[in-house]
Amino acid sequence: MADGIQLARAASVAALATEGVHSMGRGRFVEAATYEGREKVSGVIVGPEDLEIHIVARYPLPRPIPDIAESIRERVAPEAGGRKTTVVVEDVEVAADENL
Amino acid sequence: MRIFNRVVMMLLLAGLFVLGVYMVVYAFELFGYSLSSLPFSGFSNGLQGFANDVERGGLSVTTLIILFLLVLLGLLLLIAEFKPPSPSRVRMGNGTYTTRRVVEDEVSAVADEVPGVLGSSVSAKAQRRPGAQVDIEGTVRRGEDVGTIREGLRSTVQEHLSRRGLPVSKLNVKLVEADPRQTKTRVQ
Repeated sequence: MADGIQLARAASVAALATEGVHSMGRGRFVEAATYEGREKVSGVIVGPEDLEIHIVARYPLPRPIPDIAESIRERVAPEAGGRKTTVVVEDVEVAADENL
Repeated sequence: MRIFNRVVMMLLLAGLFVLGVYMVVYAFELFGYSLSSLPFSGFSNGLQGFANDVERGGLSVTTLIILFLLVLLGLLLLIAEFKPPSPSRVRMGNGTYTTRRVVEDEVSAVADEVPGVLGSSVSAKAQRRPGAQVDIEGTVRRGEDVGTIREGLRSTVQEHLSRRGLPVSKLNVKLVEADPRQTKTRVQ
């Protein structure tokens, strides 16, 4: 089970490796990030009992948003240590390889 | 209420700043002003007179109405403060959220492709229950069958959002007739 910044890093890597995720979100009104020392992981907020992952989905969506969120939760679960995982889809971005 | 609170706080702080400046000017007797010239006695006499009227029950009808309205206003503001703010994110259920912009972008993408719709403006509101409230205002050519277009637009949007897994709790569709020369799309 990872903790703090390690968990944030693992969650970020897991989220970015999920099909349908374009990039990590940054939060809209408040920055969504985890800090430790000089390191910062954008798009993940690690709490004592919860974990918030902010993503930007890839357009066109390869599958419904709840499926993407579920995949992220499944990938993160081994590291999350029983934390309640919330996925926030902040935006939908056209991927660079899509000529739309 | 958040905007109202900010406005009230700004006015309050601006008022306190102005009063502070006055206090400094009067306390140090700058520019010929001094504390002794302030009409404190008139103000305290007026306040005392008002308190006496309240004790005797001799307030005028106008004063009573004003006081009643002030109490009512205070009560309404108190109730509004207790009301929880509307959520900023659209709940999709099972710990997944999205922003209103995502819903608006998805709806806009399909709304303009519905036959007969020349343009559209979409707004999505997050609600406490899962799903967003989506308001679509579409523009159509004069003389078109508005009922059919409305149904087509509604079903297309619902199908598209359902494919994306975006739940909609309420979908309001409004169609307005417009001159095609003033719309984004002239021909559909």
